[in-house]
Amino acid sequence: MNQMTKPTPESQPPMLRAKGLTHRVRLETDTLTILQGVNLEINRGESVAIVGRSGSGKTTLLGLLAGLDTPTEGSVELDGATISQLSEDQRAQLRASRVGFVFQSFQLLPALTALENVMLPLELAGIEEPEKRARELLERVGLGERLTHTPRQLSGGEQQRVAIARAFASEPVVLFADEPTGNLDNRTGQAVSDLLMALNREQGTTLVMVTHDEHLAARCARQFHIEAGQLTEPEALGEPVS
Amino acid sequence: MAAEQKLMSVRRDWRERDVRVVLAALVIAVATVATIALFASQLQRTLVTSASSFLAADRQLEAENGRPIPDAWLQEATARGLETGQMVEFSTMVFGGGGFQLVSVKAVSNEYPLRGEIEIQSGPDSPRELVKAGPQPGEVWINPRLLRLLELEIGDSLEVGNLQLTVSGLLIREPDGGFRLSALAPRVMMHKDDVPATGVVQEGSRVEYVYLFAGEESALEGYYEWLRPQLEPSHEWEGVRDGETFSRSLQRAERFLLLGGSLAVLLAAVAVAVASRQYALSQRDTVALLKTLGLNGAGIGRLYLRRLLLWGITGVVGGLVVAIPLFWLLASMLSDVLERPVDIYLDPAALTPALLTALVSLFAFAYPPIRRLRNVPAMRVLRSQPGESGREAWPDMLVAIVAIFGLVWLYAGELALVVSLLGGLVLLLLALGLLGWGLVTVLRRVRGGGNAWRLALVGLYRHRNASLSQIAVFAMTLMLAATLVLVRTSLLNDWQAQLPDDAPNHFLINIAPETVDEVAGFWDEQGQPLEELYPMVRGRLTELNGQPVKEAVSKDERIGALNRELNLTWMESLPEDNEIIEGQWFADGEQNGVSVEAELAGRLGLQLGDELTFTIGSEKVTEVVTSIRTVQWDSMKPNFYMAFPPGGGLEGLPATWITSFYLPPEKKTALNAFSRQFPTVSVLEIDHIISRIQEIVQQVTRAIEAILALILAAALVVMAAVVSATLRDRQREGALLRTLGGRQSLLVRSTMLEFAVLGGFAGLLGVVAAEAAVYALQFRMFEGTFNWHWQVIIPIPLISAVVLSLFGRWQLRPVLSVSPMLLLRRLE
Ligand SMILES: Nc1ncnc2c1ncn2[C@@H]1O[C@H](COP(=O)(O)OP(=O)(O)O)[C@@H](O)[C@H]1O
Ligand SMILES: [Mg+2]
Repeated sequence: MNQMTKPTPESQPPMLRAKGLTHRVRLETDTLTILQGVNLEINRGESVAIVGRSGSGKTTLLGLLAGLDTPTEGSVELDGATISQLSEDQRAQLRASRVGFVFQSFQLLPALTALENVMLPLELAGIEEPEKRARELLERVGLGERLTHTPRQLSGGEQQRVAIARAFASEPVVLFADEPTGNLDNRTGQAVSDLLMALNREQGTTLVMVTHDEHLAARCARQFHIEAGQLTEPEALGEPVS
Repeated sequence: MAAEQKLMSVRRDWRERDVRVVLAALVIAVATVATIALFASQLQRTLVTSASSFLAADRQLEAENGRPIPDAWLQEATARGLETGQMVEFSTMVFGGGGFQLVSVKAVSNEYPLRGEIEIQSGPDSPRELVKAGPQPGEVWINPRLLRLLELEIGDSLEVGNLQLTVSGLLIREPDGGFRLSALAPRVMMHKDDVPATGVVQEGSRVEYVYLFAGEESALEGYYEWLRPQLEPSHEWEGVRDGETFSRSLQRAERFLLLGGSLAVLLAAVAVAVASRQYALSQRDTVALLKTLGLNGAGIGRLYLRRLLLWGITGVVGGLVVAIPLFWLLASMLSDVLERPVDIYLDPAALTPALLTALVSLFAFAYPPIRRLRNVPAMRVLRSQPGESGREAWPDMLVAIVAIFGLVWLYAGELALVVSLLGGLVLLLLALGLLGWGLVTVLRRVRGGGNAWRLALVGLYRHRNASLSQIAVFAMTLMLAATLVLVRTSLLNDWQAQLPDDAPNHFLINIAPETVDEVAGFWDEQGQPLEELYPMVRGRLTELNGQPVKEAVSKDERIGALNRELNLTWMESLPEDNEIIEGQWFADGEQNGVSVEAELAGRLGLQLGDELTFTIGSEKVTEVVTSIRTVQWDSMKPNFYMAFPPGGGLEGLPATWITSFYLPPEKKTALNAFSRQFPTVSVLEIDHIISRIQEIVQQVTRAIEAILALILAAALVVMAAVVSATLRDRQREGALLRTLGGRQSLLVRSTMLEFAVLGGFAGLLGVVAAEAAVYALQFRMFEGTFNWHWQVIIPIPLISAVVLSLFGRWQLRPVLSVSPMLLLRRLE
């Protein structure tokens, strides 16, 4: 727990810091290097897009930054805690209290209703009155009428809105989104990304978003490019477009 | 269509989990049912053979009129391919070693025994041996007690009538040591060819001729059909199942095997049903895709039907490949247990239920959900459609239930069994409905929590549909298994209660009224007190309601009890193990009436109020039937067809007394002193019969336990199939929970708790339903009394909870050992 106490304002380290991240997976015959010496710093409240072609290593990077996996080499600091020094349970605790996720394939549990899906992280975090909070969020994303529907009864866009409600439910300090509009058509994707950006602004969350959609990327304050496991940051664009 | 062919490769099917489960379930179904059926058939044959050895043959024909049967009868038997043998039994005095003794002689032909073996000793201290033939002409084998009584030694000569025979062995046990009152005095066995030379057997002397027959069941039946019209009342045809002490035990064992087999069928069918429904659900996307590729509904139907047939063939072949070696193994184990070779016989008829099970499982359980696949809209490809609500499955359920009970009925041939199980299941479903309602209303309120308990309860609520159907299947499986365990337990308890280690193993007969107290005193002094003593008067039932009984009762019903003299008694109070089923026991001081044994009453069609006339010596006694009572024939205590009140119809008639008692082997010598002190009292030694029965009970018990183990294994497989049907969903959920910040320990504890609650509930429901089924079964099939079985009610839910929670933990393994990242990738 101690590692995770909020840092004092005067020192204010970055929200996320990755140093020399390298990730390799062993295949049957040889080893595949997915990420190669990635360095990255993201400040509190910033919104960052990571753009790259399919297969370039975006999801892998996101997973490492969020502590879902540990890198082969290098280190990740999230909100002042060095992820590789934490036990699996401490990492889980960190995720429960500070991190939210939005996935390309929604990752809703099919057996649960929309409401129950949103309540899940609240229950895990032991938050009081999870149902009330989940209801508010679903109303906020425009699904107040669909509380008892299961994912199968919802369209892709609606499912992603449930996922967004779930991601923001536990008021995370940092939100990781992996191609949140990747499985949606243009207009639906637009609506979903509007919602995502809006909630992000309201809650002042740090946003790390992976996408191959240049348009969506342009709405973030900073953009990184990833190619063949190497990360580059073109010169900062200044204020994000809204 | 080539495309259809391609889509149907078994190899491709095999890659699908659900297909593997269906195939495994089918293989197990066929294997279990085939093994049990084969083994039951083998056991039946083996037991009948051991039982046959009680007659020393498959059938016996006794002629109690002192005359041999016509030679033509034996020739006919030989012509029909039957083996035959002969014995002559009579009582006579023998002389030897300077003393004489009344003995019961059994003279046997060369063929004796046709079944079973004779146990002998070549001297008092020699080892016991089993032989397949009686003594040679000129030789005699005698009971060890006679050796001591006459102070004889092996090699001495013994005079039987006019003939000198050499004592060449000690007779320990005859294969047909039946429970016959004629076999009172110590036994002597000699060769039949020596009988004429003794001069003892003459026209009119009390001799019993006994003929032995063995061979194919059909030949025996055919022979009896031929023989029956020619039989006289003094002829008695005896088969294995007629009136033998242990035949009831045998019948119950048979029923138990049938029950076990039926439950195996049920369990296997459940496994197939669960797995194929899961498979059908997983195929919906594929079907939608095939439709967009241009395959129509009929084509899809054909495709899956063919696949089903392919599975059927695979399942049957695979099942037999497992069953046959397993059966060989069991059969050779049986042979070890019996300590004698068993002819292993692969009964083709026993395979029919296995094939039927496979067919019915496939078409009544697997087919309906798969058939509905053809209705999957092609639109599903573009937009995920709502899945099945489960309501479509209701007609399937009906088909399945009808099919399964048809199958069990066919298999067990017992409507009582089917109805009992159905009753248990209905109760189970009612309880489940209630539980479902409770689950939804109570658990709905439980919310939130880093607390494992709350998370587990929330989990139960979340998976309420899956939870309920899992509880249903587990409960059903447990019910079936528990039914079996309960029936086994009560069966064994019954047997043990019937034949405790100190069950009476000697009868004392022909005790003169004035020596009753002395006799009782003798055995009290030996520390082996007697059971209840009963007076006994021998008489025939001659008239029924004033009509000669031979006219009043149809010829077929002119059963042994009418041909022989019956043992009549009077008693004040009903023996503990008798039970009045109609009418009333004699009131105090009542002197009229007679109480009739229930089975005899049933066969003669006797009613309360019927007037029975008995001929006892030259006297006639007429009494009205006042009660009908059941008797424990295998209790090894004196039992009577007819009981009168003290001072009633038998008053003043000459009676002797009869009783039984337990005598341990080490006190056998006391019998010598007893015989000297009370020469007129006959001692009937049945200790060897009893130990033989105990042996058989043990064999059957072991067989039953082997089968029980098989069925419990099948039950475990069903549970595994059901739990793993939801494996993917659970793993996905586990991965997501971890991603969302659930700690491993929390996940472990909540999952284990959730499964524990699931298992506990299922166990409780299953046990209660099993009790209901056993309650029904007990009365109709096993003639026992019903008790609550706390020894099962308490542990089964506990065990089920523990096992399932461990199982849940085990299923969680992949979710815990892998990084959440990899899980999410895998589950994409
Ligand atoms: N565990 C793994 N095993 C093998 N290959 C992997 C594994 N994880 C990622 N890869 C490979 O690494 C590359 C990058 O993957 P990913 O990070 O998902 O890319 P992106 O999200 O940019 O499409 C891909 O080629 C992918 O197949
Ligand atoms: Mg990706």
